[in-house]
Order: sequence, then C-alpha cells, then structure tokens
Amino acid sequence: MQRRTAVVEVRRRRQSPRANLALLLLALPGIVWFLVFAYGPMAGLVVAFKSFNVRDGIFGSPWNGLQNFKYFLESGDATRIVVNTLVLNALFLSASLLAGLILALMLNEIRGSLYRRFVQSTIFFPYFVSPIVISIILQAVLAGVSGRGGLLNNLLSVIDLPQVNWYTTPGPWPWILTIVKVWQLGGYTSVIFLAAITSISEDVYEAAALDGASRTRMALSITTPLLFPTLGVLVVLGVGRIFFGDFATIYAIVQDNGTLFPTTDVIDTYVFRSLRTVGDFGTTAAIGLFQSVVGFCFVSAAVLVQRRVDKESSIL
Amino acid sequence: MSTIIGRNQTITDLDAEAVLTGRIPVESAPRRRPGRRRAEPFTVVSYVVVSLFGLFCLIPLWMIFAGSLTDESTLASKGYSFLPHPFSLTAYAMLFSGQSLLKGYIASLFITIVGTSLSLSCTAALAWVIARQLPGISRPLTIFSYIPMLFTGGLVPLYLLVTQVLHLTNSWFSVILPIMLAPFLIFVAVSFFRQLPEAILDSAKVDGAGEMRIFFQIVLPLSKPILAVLGLFYAVTYWNEWFMALLFISDPGKQPMQLILENLIANVANAASLPGASAAQAAAPIYQLRFAMTVLTVAPILLAYPFAQRFFVKGLTLGATKG
Repeated sequence: MQRRTAVVEVRRRRQSPRANLALLLLALPGIVWFLVFAYGPMAGLVVAFKSFNVRDGIFGSPWNGLQNFKYFLESGDATRIVVNTLVLNALFLSASLLAGLILALMLNEIRGSLYRRFVQSTIFFPYFVSPIVISIILQAVLAGVSGRGGLLNNLLSVIDLPQVNWYTTPGPWPWILTIVKVWQLGGYTSVIFLAAITSISEDVYEAAALDGASRTRMALSITTPLLFPTLGVLVVLGVGRIFFGDFATIYAIVQDNGTLFPTTDVIDTYVFRSLRTVGDFGTTAAIGLFQSVVGFCFVSAAVLVQRRVDKESSIL
Repeated sequence: MSTIIGRNQTITDLDAEAVLTGRIPVESAPRRRPGRRRAEPFTVVSYVVVSLFGLFCLIPLWMIFAGSLTDESTLASKGYSFLPHPFSLTAYAMLFSGQSLLKGYIASLFITIVGTSLSLSCTAALAWVIARQLPGISRPLTIFSYIPMLFTGGLVPLYLLVTQVLHLTNSWFSVILPIMLAPFLIFVAVSFFRQLPEAILDSAKVDGAGEMRIFFQIVLPLSKPILAVLGLFYAVTYWNEWFMALLFISDPGKQPMQLILENLIANVANAASLPGASAAQAAAPIYQLRFAMTVLTVAPILLAYPFAQRFFVKGLTLGATKG
C-alpha cells in the first residue's frame, strides 16, 4: 500500500499539461454524451413548470407555475400509481432475492461440475430474454391461441377449477408479474450469491462437519449468515431503485390493457401513456420530476447506508 | 401437457418445502464422519428443486419453439404440445420469403454492432481517465458520471431532446444514443483498470510513450477480458432494446426485430401483413408466425450464449464485489 501511493505520487508529479490534454481528449466523447443525454434532460425538466407547446419549444413556452403538479395530484391517479410502484417493486425485490438465495444455497450442494454448470447456464438464461419475448410467452400461458384458454386454464380444467380470463382480471396480476420476475431474475441473483459463497473458507465447513453438522445445518447456520452482507447490499440497492418501476417488462406485458391498470399501472407506464395518448408534456414532465426527486431521496439514502455498512465496495 | 404445468406449479411448493425442511432442527441427526457421506436430505432436495427450476426456465422457451413448428389449425384446436405435431415449417417459410425479417435483422444488427462499438470505446476511454487518479480531473469526472445514477431527467425531456432538438426520429441512432453509456459499467471498467500493474505503465512512460499510445497499445490489449464483458452486456442491451425504437422509429422499414415483435403483440392483425403482401395469405397462421418470429429474435442470443456465458458470470462477479 505504501509503495503504491509512492508510485502514484511520482506519476502525479510527472504529468505534463500536454499529457493531461491527451487524456481529456480521450474522455471527451463520454463527457459530451453525459452533457447531452444525462444533464440535458435534467435541464429539460423546466418543462414541468411550463405550459408546453411545440411551436415555442422547451425554453420559449410560457410558465405556469405549479399548475402541472396540481393537475396530476388532482387527477386521482397519483395515489394509485405510487402505491402500485411501491408494492410491485417490493414484491419483485423480495421474491427475486429469496429465490436467488435459495437457488444459490442449493446450487452449492450440487457437486457434479458438468451438471451444475449446465443448470446454472439454464437458469441464468432468462435474464437475457427481452421483455417483448416474455410478454409473448406469458400470452401463450395465460391466453392461448385465439383466446382458447392457454396452458394455465388447461391445467385448471384438468383439476376441475373454473377457467379464468386472466387478461381481464386485475386481482392476480401482482403475483403473475412477481412470478415473471422470479423467472427472469432468479438465476441472475443466484450467481451473485454464489460468487459470495465461493469466497467462504472451506475450513468453516470442515470444522462444522467434524462437529457432526448436516448439510442443512451448514446451509442455514453457516452459509446463510455469511451471505447477509451481500444480501444487505442487494436490498439497499433494490430499495434505492424502488421508485422506478421496471417499465419495460410491465409495459410489454400489460400494454394498454385498461382493465389491468388498477393493479399494474406504475409511474413509468403512466408517464409513457400520457405522453403518447394525451400528449400533455407539461403534466407528464411534472410526474417525471416528482419521480426523480423522490427516487433521488431513496437512492441517496441507500448509497449512504451502503457506504456506512461497507466502505470497501463504495465507489465515491 | 398438463403434467408440464403440474411440474411448474410444484416448484413454488417445493421451494416452500425446502425452507420448511431447513427450519426443522437437525439435532437428532446421527453423527457422521466427514469424508464419505451418504447423500443427505438437503442435497437430494437441492438436486430436485434446482432441476425443477431449470425446467421452469426452459419449458416456456421450448413451448414457443415447438409452437413455431406446429400447424396453426392444430395450435388452435388442441393447444400447445411438447413435440410439434403435425410438423409445419409454414411460418418460417413465410417469414424467410418476406422482406420484414431481413429488414428487421439489418436494423437490429446495425443498432447492436454500431451501438456496442460506440459504447465500448467511450466507456473504456472515460473509465481509463477516471482510473488514472489525476489530480483535478479524475475526481470531478467520477462525480460527473455518478450523478446520473442518482438523478435522471426522465422520459419527457429525453423525448423532446431526441425529437425536437436532435431530430433523430426514424434514425437508428435514436435507439443507440439515449442508452449509449451505462454509468454502472463505466465503474466496473474503472475498478478493472485500477488493478493493472503500475510497473508496465511506468516503464512505458520512461520509454517515452505518450498518453494516447499507452491507452491504445498497452491498456486496451491488457484489458481484453473486461472489454469482452462490457461489450457483451452492451450488445445484449442493444439487441433487446425496443422502448426507444417504439418511441422514435415509426417507419416500418426501419424497425428492429423487437419492435416488429411488439407490433405483433399490440395488434394481432399486424401479423397478417408480416410476410410480405400475398393474396393467398388471407388466413395467415398468426400465432405460429408470432412464435416463429420470437424464435428468430431469441436465436442470436441463444447461439452466442454458450460462448459468452462465462464472461457474463465473470462480469457479474466483478460488479458484485467491486461495484
């Protein structure tokens, strides 16, 4: 450590302005991108306080104060989409973390390396399946060809249960989406946990085996507690993102199916729909700003907690 | 067929069961010597649960594949089956004879290849400058790249930027540019660059190599593993991207694969128009076509997957421990 800083010191002193210029040139494309596509839209948020029209443009349109926010809060949709966002994200987060944790503990039991690698690749794959494809699969399961029931209804009829028209029944959708999320993220999360498991010393297990611990005992009393830091980080990161719905998956599945909105409409899908159908930029931007600000509070809190818990893995 | 779903359903039950069995105190278990052990209950349960979850992940994809090879009238009357029977290549034949598929692939490939190259070069360059820990440059740049992870302008300003300011509507760059850099991946690259041996860089400097030369001729060749990881993550993101295309690309001739698929969901009737105009296709096999299109969209990822998978796992691990 001492030597390393010494080397850095030497390097720092040797850095000429010309070399710095060359390095800045390297960074330039990235800097420009951030200015245009990350910071530009932040400046564009002024639209939230304006009565936007295309002719006058972003900065020329007249101001209308907090009118846009008032309109959104009075529309009656605000509570519904905020609650949906929080509930769905909480469900997604806990289900995928639990599935990932259990899968990792169990994958760890599988010793045959070929089979293990095969299973691991298989359960990891859904992570790379696009939301659109997921939506098509789900339609096959829930609606079937030309609305002829689908796989799930076929099963229900086998065990003499009434058929359900899933795409017009909002009630079960939080659970359906949660299952989709587990399908999509279970394997992915388990890989993260498995990486943490491999760093646990083999000695601990040998000692436990000498004391007569069963594999169940080891998984529950050794591996699981040692995974808590990883779990903590993932929970904190997830809670930080809790105000941002998984727009792509939800919108790909629900589309503009109004009957499902009561349980599936989240902030992002709402924003997108009002942008496309209503075309009211001011109000939509106001909702976006509201989301960004509340989201920022969550993310910052999460980062602070993470830094306090785990200084090593923090970026800043 | 019902057995398939039956299996799927029991997964959740088994998960719960595994948790329960885990909670049962095991004090009563007989002491065993380490070394040669009989298969323990937990291990057996693990094999079963993990295999079932594997099936749960695979079967939906297989059903789509089988569906794409099954005659539409059979699909409609008997539903899905495990093995395509009667076997039918109609949907694929129609797709390959039409223009949509080729155009979709061209659009998707352009977005993926050009996008990944741009993303990768900008990410590596910016990350290298951050990783150099230059006084007065690196830290401001870190904060500059970090803030967008905390706060975003949201959809509306981005939409206005692309359509009103940059006028990129119907250009493939309207899909590439908004998602070109992922701050998270920049920091993954930074943490890799920081591990490069200092000695090599210093000796290059002593030999008179300039900053550009160090970056292109020493750093990049040493960083092939991380570049592969980042490139693959970016490539999958671009290939799967449909939302930007939905917002900005309305010209049917320029739509990427994912958006063509999206149109098939949004409007089943669109499927009829998919395989190029032909009067004989009054009763186009809509569902079979939709499945075939899905297969063709997933296929490139599936083909690359066996080779790429280890990189993904590596990248994830890196992100998880250093992110």
